[in-house]
Amino acid sequence: MSVVYDEAQQAIGDAARRALAAQADRQRQLAALEQVGAFDLQFHEIAARQGWLAMALPEAHGGLGLGLIEQGIVAQACGGVIAGTPLLATNAGVAQAIIAGGDAALAGRWLRRLGAGDAKGAVAFAEAEAMLPDTAATQWDGTTLTGSKQGVPAGLVADVALVWASRDGEPVLALADLAGASRTAIDSFDNGRLHADLIFAATPATALAQGEAARALALDLLARMATITAHEQTGGAEALLWIARDYALARKAFGQPIGAFQSVKHRIAELYALVEIARANCIHAASREGQPDFLLAAAAARLSAGEAYDTAARDCVQIHGGFGVTWEGGLHLHMRRARSLAIELGHALFWEDIAVDELVGGVLVGSRA
Amino acid sequence: MTDLDGWRRQARAWLETQLPAFGKAARIGLSEPEDLAFGRRYQRAKFDAGFAGINWSPAFGGRGLTPLHKLIFDQEEARFDLPMGYFGVSLGIAVPVVMHHAPDREWARARVIEALKGETIWCQMFSEPSGGSDLAGLRTRAEPHGAEGSEGGWLINGQKLWTTYAQYADYGVLLARSDPAVAKHKGLTFFWVDMHAPGVTVRPVRLAAGDAHVNEIFFDDMAIPDSQRISAVGAGFATAMATLMIERYSASDPAGHGPPLSRFIETVRDRCINGRPALEDGRVRSAIARAYAMRSGLDAIVTRAMLMMEAGMEPGPEGSLNKLVAVRSRQKLSELAIDLMGHEGLAWDRQGHTKEDWVASWLGAPTLRIAGGADEMLLNTIAERILGLPQDHRPDKGVPFNQIPV
Repeated sequence: MSVVYDEAQQAIGDAARRALAAQADRQRQLAALEQVGAFDLQFHEIAARQGWLAMALPEAHGGLGLGLIEQGIVAQACGGVIAGTPLLATNAGVAQAIIAGGDAALAGRWLRRLGAGDAKGAVAFAEAEAMLPDTAATQWDGTTLTGSKQGVPAGLVADVALVWASRDGEPVLALADLAGASRTAIDSFDNGRLHADLIFAATPATALAQGEAARALALDLLARMATITAHEQTGGAEALLWIARDYALARKAFGQPIGAFQSVKHRIAELYALVEIARANCIHAASREGQPDFLLAAAAARLSAGEAYDTAARDCVQIHGGFGVTWEGGLHLHMRRARSLAIELGHALFWEDIAVDELVGGVLVGSRA
Repeated sequence: MTDLDGWRRQARAWLETQLPAFGKAARIGLSEPEDLAFGRRYQRAKFDAGFAGINWSPAFGGRGLTPLHKLIFDQEEARFDLPMGYFGVSLGIAVPVVMHHAPDREWARARVIEALKGETIWCQMFSEPSGGSDLAGLRTRAEPHGAEGSEGGWLINGQKLWTTYAQYADYGVLLARSDPAVAKHKGLTFFWVDMHAPGVTVRPVRLAAGDAHVNEIFFDDMAIPDSQRISAVGAGFATAMATLMIERYSASDPAGHGPPLSRFIETVRDRCINGRPALEDGRVRSAIARAYAMRSGLDAIVTRAMLMMEAGMEPGPEGSLNKLVAVRSRQKLSELAIDLMGHEGLAWDRQGHTKEDWVASWLGAPTLRIAGGADEMLLNTIAERILGLPQDHRPDKGVPFNQIPV
């Protein structure tokens, strides 16, 4: 199954692109790269004001009652202008976990604030190089967390974190108020993502799920966030496709536009193929929310969008020649974002394994692929 | 979607009733002419059941349904190994040209209906030894010839190549050069010809996979009346382009007409690499995951295009990506599957089906990367038509054909 965007959904995309274009500022983005802890407040305010953080929340909690399709449309627009803190995905992930956990008190405390952008959420699953370790070193003892998480996106500003932990070797998904944790900023190659190491020392935390239920919920949340992020990656790749195309038309060498040389035009045509395949996978994944093949669909979206964005960043820079590698030219903003998004929420090898586990497990039966 | 879902179920149910008579099991060990006879009977069964010419006008023997109905039937039909390949070019390209463009409508109607019944087969004669990608560079001559009475006629001389199933064709559509003194695109005219007429010689060309479904065709002073002209004189190139657009949304296969990924997993499930299970090997897993991500994207493109058609919208140009992307993937996955079978992969089953057999798939893949538009031409089309990038440097542009250096 897939979808064709209806008029309301197209209007959401148009509105998002308009709002983002009004605040686009390359100098501000370049400056943010050189500051640790800098936070693109303008973007965050737009996201909050436009309701982008509340889209998938139930109306009872101040949300818009929409879903992944609409979240994806907005994320794609954000990716196109390299806008966005990780909160687009992480606030959605934390909110979804709280809903799934079914604790009314937690829902009352956090959901409305997360949706309004007054509270910021981080998702701290990874430890060292592992996205979702079998047994997390971070321990939950029934009431508190102890341990550390490295390079958590949005970790620098988050008020609350969803933490992948363990208790007696069994997985636990716990929600921790970060007032009780300490954090260290990471000076990263894409500082706008607000990466930080989080250290928990008897930090009060509530379990949302335990045992196999925790693992299943963690994978479902990863699939949701990966679907949103895949849209963002596709938006970035699509922007680079057209930047490369425009440059290939404008730039002349050897007496003709460089886009007339097959080595250049075929490279751009290949980008088109990667972008369209990623876009189709993203829309498909968003339409499979809650279905048995959702994890596989999210993996396909994630893999193809990551490939599209990384390849577009490489090739677009290459087509620009020397101008592609200058600081002021700013293409490295896309290059950096392509890589940070590729790592956050699990690298390609992590998702390849998920896809293969699903496929070998028999999900493929009946598929034409 | 309920209507179309019902149509899909109806198609599948009917196809299943045809399997005992026409499925793979019924045709094992048949020679190609014997298989073709099965194909003709299967095509007739489709006609009788209302599954031939699904989106064609009832006036031409069709069912009068939408292109979407046709696409859905084709998707279902492709699930089975049925003998329909002989009619692909005939009913997909050549006969629709006759239906849309042949001036004598009564004659056209009779030809279309007999072809729909599988009684006749048409071929499409475009490519030549000197050019396939550069279609407008073709050299077969059509010269005015007065011997056919008051209406005048044409004398055809030259050679065509890569013509699919011409050895079984009763008729063919032909693009030939009627005026070598004008620019190459402007001197072409479109005809139909009787493949059994004097002056036509058809010789099958054996391909790398061992099969011979394409042919070379020689025209030696073949005289045809002007009534066999389908386009205006000199306007054949536009008709040829229109031909290629007729089945714009034909059913595509994300597996590139090779084995599906489930087949790959089945092939390697019990195999090892250096003593370790192949399905636990990162290189194999990466290949599976990447192929799946690509193929599921192609599948989603088709699904979205079908939903748009259903909603009365025009699908985007991304539908053209399938052949370019899917066949490359099939080629590499087939190589990997053969690798993983080790020395057992050396066996060659000459009857192997490309949707099931890795060697057959691998041997046939290069043909598909060239037939109907080579990868490089598809990339040019994407770059120029979709992205608006410049055409390649073309030194023959605007030059009269007979002054282009050879």
